[in-house]
Amino acid sequence: MTVPLGAYIAVSVGLFFIGCAGVLVRRNAVVILMCVELMLNAANLALVAFSRRFGAVDQRGSVFVIFVFVIAAAEVAVGLAIVLSAYRNRPVIDVDEIHQMKG
Amino acid sequence: MPVGPLGLDPLFWAPLRLIIAVALALFLVLNGALLQIYLERKIQAIIQDRLGPYHVGPFGLLQTFADAIKLIAKEDVRARATDPWFFLAAPALVFCPMLASWVVLPFAQDIVGVDLNIGLLYLTTLGSMTVLGIVIAGWASNNKYALVGGLRSAGQLISYEIPQILALVSVALVVGSLSMIDITRSQAGPLVNVFVLPFSFLIYFIAALAETNRTPFDLPEAESELVAGWLTEYSGMRWGTMLALSEYGNVTVVSSIVTTLWFGGWQGPGVDAIPLLGVLWFTLKVYGVIVVMMWIRATLPRLRIDQLMTFCWLGLIPLALLNIMVVAVLALAFPDTKIPIALASWLLVIAFIAGVPFVQRRRLALLRARASASAVRAAS
Amino acid sequence: MSFDFVEPVVFAVLAFGVIGAGAAVVLLDRITASALLMALTFLCMAGMFVLLGAETIAAFQVLIYVGAITVLILFGVQFTKQGGDRSYALFFQKQYPLAAALVAAVAIPVALFAFSFTAPAPPPGGGDIRPLATSVFTDYAFAFEVASVLLLAAMVGAIVLTTRDERAEAARRRK
Repeated sequence: MTVPLGAYIAVSVGLFFIGCAGVLVRRNAVVILMCVELMLNAANLALVAFSRRFGAVDQRGSVFVIFVFVIAAAEVAVGLAIVLSAYRNRPVIDVDEIHQMKG
Repeated sequence: MPVGPLGLDPLFWAPLRLIIAVALALFLVLNGALLQIYLERKIQAIIQDRLGPYHVGPFGLLQTFADAIKLIAKEDVRARATDPWFFLAAPALVFCPMLASWVVLPFAQDIVGVDLNIGLLYLTTLGSMTVLGIVIAGWASNNKYALVGGLRSAGQLISYEIPQILALVSVALVVGSLSMIDITRSQAGPLVNVFVLPFSFLIYFIAALAETNRTPFDLPEAESELVAGWLTEYSGMRWGTMLALSEYGNVTVVSSIVTTLWFGGWQGPGVDAIPLLGVLWFTLKVYGVIVVMMWIRATLPRLRIDQLMTFCWLGLIPLALLNIMVVAVLALAFPDTKIPIALASWLLVIAFIAGVPFVQRRRLALLRARASASAVRAAS
Repeated sequence: MSFDFVEPVVFAVLAFGVIGAGAAVVLLDRITASALLMALTFLCMAGMFVLLGAETIAAFQVLIYVGAITVLILFGVQFTKQGGDRSYALFFQKQYPLAAALVAAVAIPVALFAFSFTAPAPPPGGGDIRPLATSVFTDYAFAFEVASVLLLAAMVGAIVLTTRDERAEAARRRK
């Protein structure tokens, strides 16, 4: 009795919505970045699951996943750089407080 | 499904086989660490013209047993404000990836845990997981020096992963496979890969010395720097696990990679007749590499953190990239023979070794110019 | 006695790990615990990739996410100390039942719909590294090059954003 494809998609959906809720709910900028990573992971799982089911010959979904890895890594690096330089300016990490464009 | 010996039911044999494999790997790691600690002290003693341990047991062979018993019997000291979960979890986070890498090391023709077709990728992946344990260990100690030491060590480890992986990629380019058994089999007879890709060997060896925190890159664990860095608050067997077992286990894994990729792995005279002889050749070659690492430790002084990082980013990484480019172009241009690659690689090694005095002279001139400029600025 | 029960059991454990650790990332107050549980989510995700037969992707997942991104986030956590009372935005502190109902109203039907997919085909033998490598370096070679340019731009950008201009700051302090 193998695991149906739908189970992998259900896990992907669940993780995506958890990440989405995290981005909306949490105030700490670094935690928001972490939840964005969770969403990207959920998308990767869905891509790989569908790729193994429908595109088993040339693995195109997995190729897409490699590019998602690259983009996620680049995004975390630049996102953290932005957060750290904003923090250096004014030592607040709460995104609700970073609402002034001046200074 | 695997049927066990004496016709044991697969339902029992499959988990039992797993438990036996993990126990065997643990046994090898523990005994390897024991032997290597003794070897390290004896070799350093011989090079430094003194005796080393000779009191406990014949030739001091039981010295490490005595040390291990002392470590286990030590009081478990924990500072009050350390994070309860992470302080205890950090030694496990550092130890487990190292233990998991033993599964792909090829000891003989059929004696390998699992012949993964991504064996080399698996080893680099596990090597990158150790960094997490070190950062957590540094943070959980609630100690400024441990935190900075942990971050420094993490920076060193992630920097030196890059030339390590690039050197491995160049070997995979020539061999055409990432499986450890395939790489060993591709080296026929005495023409092992160190004659074909010596520059990759040099780059990987230096990067591996930095990855396993061996001198001259052992700034994170040196006792005179930052009060022993990220393991300041760890004592007793926690320290034993993180430092002795993990480090010497890592050294063994890295030496096994070097042996498999560049020195022919288990091959040697008489292996075709008696396959089990491969284990002997493999162990001898691995310990040969380990003895060279210990020899380097007893000889060279330590690098400072900025010298270390400069050497990686401005020295090893450009050389590793140049190496991959040369090997890839030549492997595509002359796909049947390995001679052009060997020539190019040896030329790069000679250029590297001969070019060191020039680079040193230029950097010295640069430092002198900068020092005199700041002296002039301070005087005015 | 067949071993067919192993795969669903392993999948159940990994799915529980992924969802549980993901929920803990969102709900916990201590950021370091959140960061480590995120690493656990990534590890369980890599396990799922192995179950699907994509072991190269699993190795890349651990190498990139657990080995690099988690360490980066831990560095970021340690350089930015948080203060303040609650970690959740004000709306959700007061009206969290409404927020939970909204999320569930969308997530549950989608998850139920997901179960209507049929069983996956068994993965082809020989592992997935050869088809993957062939695809990346022949069909998608241009995308591969563009991705490397993207990484270069990200690297340069991150360095430029966080470089301190020592002389300008010293001049500003002297004024």
